[in-house]
Amino acid sequence: MAKKDKEKLNNEISTESENKPLPDFAVELDNVSFTYEEGLPYALKDVSLKVKRGEFIAVLGHNGSGKSTLARLVCGLLTADKGNVTVWGYDPADKKQLGKVREHAGVVFQNPDNQMVASIVEDDIAFGPENLGVPRAEIGFRIEWALKAVGMEKYRHATPARLSGGQKQRIAVAGVLAIKPDVLILDESTAMLDPKGRREVTEVAARLNKEAGMTVILITHFMDEALLADRAIVMNKGEIALEGSPEEIFEKGDELESYNLSLPEIGAICNKIRAAGYELNDCLQPETLAEEIKEQAQKSGFKPRSSGDIPAPIGKNGQKEWDIDISNLDFTYSAKSPFATKALKGVNLHISEGEFFGIIGHTGSGKSTLVQHLNALIRLPKSQKHYKKPKVKKGQTPPPESIITIGGYDLSNRKCDFQSLRADVGMVFQYPEYQLFADTVFDDVAFGLKNFKKGLSAEEVERAVRESLTAVGLDYDEVHDKSPFDLSGGQKRRVAIAGVIVTKPKILVLDEPAAGLDPLGKRDIMALLHSLHANWCKTVIIVSHDMDEIAENCTRACVVSEGKIFDCDAPARLFERAEELFSLGLDIPTTAKIQRAMSALGLELKSDLTSDGFAAAVIDALKGGGDA
Amino acid sequence: MLNDVTFGQYYPTKSFVHRLDPRVKFLFLIAYIVMLFVAKSFYGLALCLLILLITVIASRVPLGSVLRSIKGVIAILVFTSVLNIFFHKGSQLLWEWKFIHIYTEGLIFTAFLTLRLFFIVMASALLTLTTTPVNLTDGIESLLFPLALIRVPVHVLALTMSIALRFIPTLMDETNRIISAQKARGANFDSGNIFKRVKAIIPVLVPLIISAFRRAEELGDAMDVRCYGCGSKRTKYKKLKFGWRDLIATLFAAILIAGVILFNIYGYDICPQIYFYMVIS
Repeated sequence: MAKKDKEKLNNEISTESENKPLPDFAVELDNVSFTYEEGLPYALKDVSLKVKRGEFIAVLGHNGSGKSTLARLVCGLLTADKGNVTVWGYDPADKKQLGKVREHAGVVFQNPDNQMVASIVEDDIAFGPENLGVPRAEIGFRIEWALKAVGMEKYRHATPARLSGGQKQRIAVAGVLAIKPDVLILDESTAMLDPKGRREVTEVAARLNKEAGMTVILITHFMDEALLADRAIVMNKGEIALEGSPEEIFEKGDELESYNLSLPEIGAICNKIRAAGYELNDCLQPETLAEEIKEQAQKSGFKPRSSGDIPAPIGKNGQKEWDIDISNLDFTYSAKSPFATKALKGVNLHISEGEFFGIIGHTGSGKSTLVQHLNALIRLPKSQKHYKKPKVKKGQTPPPESIITIGGYDLSNRKCDFQSLRADVGMVFQYPEYQLFADTVFDDVAFGLKNFKKGLSAEEVERAVRESLTAVGLDYDEVHDKSPFDLSGGQKRRVAIAGVIVTKPKILVLDEPAAGLDPLGKRDIMALLHSLHANWCKTVIIVSHDMDEIAENCTRACVVSEGKIFDCDAPARLFERAEELFSLGLDIPTTAKIQRAMSALGLELKSDLTSDGFAAAVIDALKGGGDA
Repeated sequence: MLNDVTFGQYYPTKSFVHRLDPRVKFLFLIAYIVMLFVAKSFYGLALCLLILLITVIASRVPLGSVLRSIKGVIAILVFTSVLNIFFHKGSQLLWEWKFIHIYTEGLIFTAFLTLRLFFIVMASALLTLTTTPVNLTDGIESLLFPLALIRVPVHVLALTMSIALRFIPTLMDETNRIISAQKARGANFDSGNIFKRVKAIIPVLVPLIISAFRRAEELGDAMDVRCYGCGSKRTKYKKLKFGWRDLIATLFAAILIAGVILFNIYGYDICPQIYFYMVIS
């Protein structure tokens, strides 16, 4: 049986390769235009592009630049209004050739959850080959091969729901690979992933390109991912604005800004040092930038300021009104069932009023569980109705009680006023725009306010809604009577944040506030949070995967790992423990990476790890050395 | 968190019953239900109980978990029992009050009925406790295969079922997240009268439905580009295997059915009175 299948498989492979000569170009677009609706501006306008067989090309652009439309035209989900698209010699606009196009060009989309058909990894990967009528034995080989290609062999029988975002997306890649395509298109496949997941996915693409000669089209708004490509094109308003090697593209920092793109962190730092008159050539990697700085240091000397001037975090300045105190916090999901999992193990944490606090950790580290305790979405056991004291055997000390106090609220007390606690501790969940529901922006924003404060007059409600919409940078008169679903992605997120801050919370907690946004969107949201921190609430707490974001914005941060607090400190000190963080599977910010690379070259430098602070410290050291 | 692993009531352990082919388990369940209704003597029912106990032991699922499955249907059980006791007509009147008459036959009949329902519920629970939802759909698909001959699109039905299963945990997570988010905005789902509660659900339902549509659309695209409906005849990677365990289970079931039928026939001699009541009922 198996032998027969193998023979069949060999036959099939041989006939397939005899079929057709290999095309020179994997994908060709010839003056292609497309509009979603007549009268609307072109989503793609006269675009011509040739992708060579075996080439790795990155398509960059902000949200709405037309880059995803390009992918959908190539795989035949859309049909061009004008011009021709050719994929591996086939025309996706022709219904008869569409099947062939899809056999040769596989697409991985943005949301890994919405690409999975089956509840078990191997069944999901089998879906494509099953559709093509591939014999069973061969499907087995293909699953094995595809999983190996994405480095997920161990997860063949796993349930996707248990995997991290990066792992899920790699499974989605494997599902496409099992079709054995010649062209792999990643259509913003990294947009929803954390930096680690992004790296996992792009590395897989780069390896497939190098080792298997697969043509890769990587569509993304993260500039650093373009570094892996042979060639990069920048899209703007449906047209190709720039084209060249990634290095060439990176040179044009200002022009990129005008296309709503931003340089990766390292490029921005590099430019700041350059602006002070130092010549740096290659600064695409921390190591190469460190080398360049060393070269400069050899010319001008290097004398950093004394290292003791990292400002002490606000933490220990005595108790203030809105401090958060957590002690001995334990939490177990589905206790007393076969699925019981300990999410938190004896967490102690103090967050002072006025901090911009960061919480770092993997998916499943317990950080979301921790955060949900802060506004009693998860109640402490003692505050629950049917609380029973745990039985303690003689001679054993009872486990310490979990206690949380926030401002005047004692969360372990059953009589605590949890409604007003929730008004005082605002919580913005991940992708908050997915929780909008009302007919108008006004109603959606007013929802929380009306829930918490009954009996407000219409004027009071209107004033509060107006204030909070203005605070998140929206024009009240323009948006208040629109449907929230008609707004752009960034605006929706702002409306959702307005719906939380409308109660004037003292403490604002945000879970991955910048997730899924393009670099400029991220920057805008972080700027918004700083303005809220200054004018609206006392404390801001963000949960984030992005170490650059933490280093850039937070006064203090803590790392949660396996239900415990690993460390809590100012970013500058926290990220000194790089080795330990790596071993927890976490990363460090770009600035810290450059500092490490420099110290390996004998240049010791301390900075607060923000990109401005770091660049200033480098310039300072180079100048100071010159003076001495 | 719980939803991550699996949902429903699957009890994860390794046992003889867990490893059986889901089709065998399914057919076994059907055979068992038939047996229960064929059994017309208490001896027959006792044998059915014995079978149930043996299966529970072989499945290594704690008896408590199996019994807990009755919780959901206990109200229906009590209701039908009460109705039957009061209104079942017979010849031996035991007690009467106004329009209520209780006959011996009624009591016996009710006892039979209740026990049967008990056993059916527990046996079905045992199936879902020992079979993952994925295996269960595979089994159902395979058993429905003959329908494909009369042009029922069994494969499409099966794919729909499997996608539904795939998305239940995702949507449950999403529901929980939306509920938490709206709770954080002061929504109250636990108090108020029925109208207030229904109204309170809207802020959860609307985003959930919108999200479900968005997911459906994206999934459709993803399936399209993975060559769904590209025209070739589909193959199926996973085939259920009928192994030695399944053979044993099938033989076991066959013997038991024979046993119940024998009990039925000879039950007439052993317990004539009950058999008599059963016949007239």
